[in-house]
Amino acid sequence: MASDAFSNCHPATNAVFFAGAIGFTVVLQHPLYIAASCVAGATYYLLLKGRRGMGMVLGLIPVFAVLSLVNPLFNTYGQRVLFTVWGNPYTLEALCYGMAIAGMFAAMMLWFGCYSAVLTSDKFICLFGRLIPAISLLLVMVLRMIPNLQRRARQILGARAAIGKGISGAAGTKEKVAGGMRVLSALTDWALEGGIVTGDSMRSRGYGSGKRTSFRLYRMTVQDWALMAAFAALAAATILAGGTEAAYTPTLSIAAPGWGLAAYGLYLLLPSMLHGKETLQWFISISKI
Amino acid sequence: MVHFHIQNLTFQYPNKNRPTLDSVELTIEKGEFVLVCGQSGSGKTTLLRHLKSVLTPHGSRSGEILFDGAPLAEMDLREQAGRIGFVMQDPEDQLVTDKVWHELSFGLESLGTEPKIMRLRVAEMASYFGIQGWFHRDVASLSGGQKQLLNLASIMAMQPQVLILDEPTSQLDPIAASDFLNTVAKINTELGTTIIITEHRLEDIYHRADRVVVMDEGKVIANAEPRKVGKLLWQQSHPMFAALPTPVHVFYAAEGEGECPLTVREGRRWLTRSFENRQLTCLETDGEEGQWEDAPPALIAKELWFRYERNEEDVLRGVSLTVPKGSLFAIVGGNGAGKSTTLKALCGVCKPYRGTVEVLGRPLKSYQPGQLYRRCLAMLPQDPKSLFVKATVGEDLEEMTGDRDQIAGIARICGVTHLLEAHPYDLSGGEQQRAALAKVLLTQPQILLLDEPTKGLDSFYKKQLAQTLAELKAQGMTVILVSHDVEFCAEYADLVSMFFDGQILATHTPRKFFGQNSFYTTAANRMSRCLFQNAVTTEDVARLYRKNQEGRR
Repeated sequence: MASDAFSNCHPATNAVFFAGAIGFTVVLQHPLYIAASCVAGATYYLLLKGRRGMGMVLGLIPVFAVLSLVNPLFNTYGQRVLFTVWGNPYTLEALCYGMAIAGMFAAMMLWFGCYSAVLTSDKFICLFGRLIPAISLLLVMVLRMIPNLQRRARQILGARAAIGKGISGAAGTKEKVAGGMRVLSALTDWALEGGIVTGDSMRSRGYGSGKRTSFRLYRMTVQDWALMAAFAALAAATILAGGTEAAYTPTLSIAAPGWGLAAYGLYLLLPSMLHGKETLQWFISISKI
Repeated sequence: MVHFHIQNLTFQYPNKNRPTLDSVELTIEKGEFVLVCGQSGSGKTTLLRHLKSVLTPHGSRSGEILFDGAPLAEMDLREQAGRIGFVMQDPEDQLVTDKVWHELSFGLESLGTEPKIMRLRVAEMASYFGIQGWFHRDVASLSGGQKQLLNLASIMAMQPQVLILDEPTSQLDPIAASDFLNTVAKINTELGTTIIITEHRLEDIYHRADRVVVMDEGKVIANAEPRKVGKLLWQQSHPMFAALPTPVHVFYAAEGEGECPLTVREGRRWLTRSFENRQLTCLETDGEEGQWEDAPPALIAKELWFRYERNEEDVLRGVSLTVPKGSLFAIVGGNGAGKSTTLKALCGVCKPYRGTVEVLGRPLKSYQPGQLYRRCLAMLPQDPKSLFVKATVGEDLEEMTGDRDQIAGIARICGVTHLLEAHPYDLSGGEQQRAALAKVLLTQPQILLLDEPTKGLDSFYKKQLAQTLAELKAQGMTVILVSHDVEFCAEYADLVSMFFDGQILATHTPRKFFGQNSFYTTAANRMSRCLFQNAVTTEDVARLYRKNQEGRR
């Protein structure tokens, strides 16, 4: 992943932004707000993932279409009937509602994609570790164990395959299940054995000998505070400006958007703008050289 | 200044009938580099674990351990955690967290260090150990050598006065191992940290030690400087002598004159001085290869190409080799070069996308899955633990066959008859490997593939492994092994191949192969190549030395 300005901010700043972005996306049903969220989400996602992100963004289009078209089949509210399917009316209102729901879904997918790229596990732990230290360490250890177990499972399966005890070599389903169970039990034994060593290593480094502190990898900078303030101001503006009301069934009633939409758009685009600003700075500094 | 003073320490595990430590008397000075060696089960690990209260095993104990003049048992655990560092054998399981930076700071976090001081200490350690480059990485993405270095660094971040290392390099390849030991020596010379270390592979560390302590059945049988210990073990013809570095071996096997050399450099100087300006008899390599040229092939691989993922680089880039029937065929080469992958491709676990493998005259692809691994071909994986799935060794062997006579026969060949009732995880590394070998042999293979069979084994188990392999070869089995262990391959292999850049470069008899190389060769060859040609084993050099000495008299 290319370097991203917003990803380098303090995890708290990241968390505040995503809480707002995802929260607004869930709550606001106004079509223009949903569209804004989709566009901003896709923009940031593509900035984060580059070319590889294209697959996900394009893949959401058919998902959007299917979800939109399917909704009227189950939801028959609405007044303007377009045609009937299996004796049920297929209404324009339900189709619009379907599109709103599908758009919301697509926006959520995009924002969660950005979330997992920006707020990595260590940032998450840094955020919540101080609230619940014991649980955060547990989480770290679990995160470490998962790839370990996967690797060992592969190792055991490979070793067994080379003495003719592989899963594919087993004759029947029953044998396959028995083989799988054996691998699982071996894996458990192995993990327990490793756990003893890990425990020794922890105690030998003073774990449990008294109060713990935690290492801080991130610092709140002026930029972080400024961003936080901007997020708060823009979020407040979005809420206060109004014009977000929208109802689809039984009749369409969509409020005219005001300057709140602009505030909302700006809020969602801030990380992308930050990214753009740094990229631009790079180009300028390169052209100077 | 005395750091540790161990007074008449005797210790017995609850389930054992004889003491594991027997009246051990030992003092360790501040800043000293002490090497503790002994065969598996001699009590070295138990002794080391007594030097840190949280790791001390349970059992009956008498005698006392003083640290800085005060009983260790009375010292606060928090203080001990900071002042006595302990690095264990397994690089993987010692790691606690998922990120490099978090691992480095873990000890300091546990000790409740101020965040500001912690940042500085972590930064300092990361720079000292050259970890800055991978500071933000997941520990899962590190190599074994990097992991062990991280373990060392995360302990050094607590600024201990004593560093105890229990076989820290047994899971590493030789290059990573010697890097690691260099770092340990650097810590000793630059920071003055007291080092207490146990090791199997003494080549890189023996000459660096201020003092060598040899343990046997829980007793300290030698405690002196390295040269003296070498002499003592030779005089007693103690089995531990086999573990000493090659130059020491050559010196005593050749009944050499002068001062015993400890390193290749000293060995070279000693040999040169012994034979200045003289014509020397050397070994010939002619005619050795012919024996294998006409032998029928057991396995032929042609132009194998393989990669793990579609978008990754090729691991095998045209591997071709022919293994004669009944030979012990060794493949050597650097780390991560694809040697293990080659073995997997030969036994059909990895499927090459180009090229063919012929096993016993038939294409690999024509075998049914069940057929291939029955009386034909089998592989012993690098980590023997990956083969154990049952509660006892016996049950594990029964998973392969119901034939009790066959199990008894194989158990005898592998020397695991007395271990059948034990849980596989309770065995030592060497025993685990023999048990795993027994399991593999129960498929009655004609071709046996071994992945790094000498990893983590002491000299005694290595010799046993060589004997077992010789016995299997006598029964007509073909053995293919990949290894980092140049010494083992030089001594026991029939043919050696060099693996590099996804290909097999050259195949020769060990004498010709190692005789031509100047870096990738045995210590005996490196030490004698200035005088004798083609001498690759300790025995070769010692024989030539005696022969040429006689010529002089």
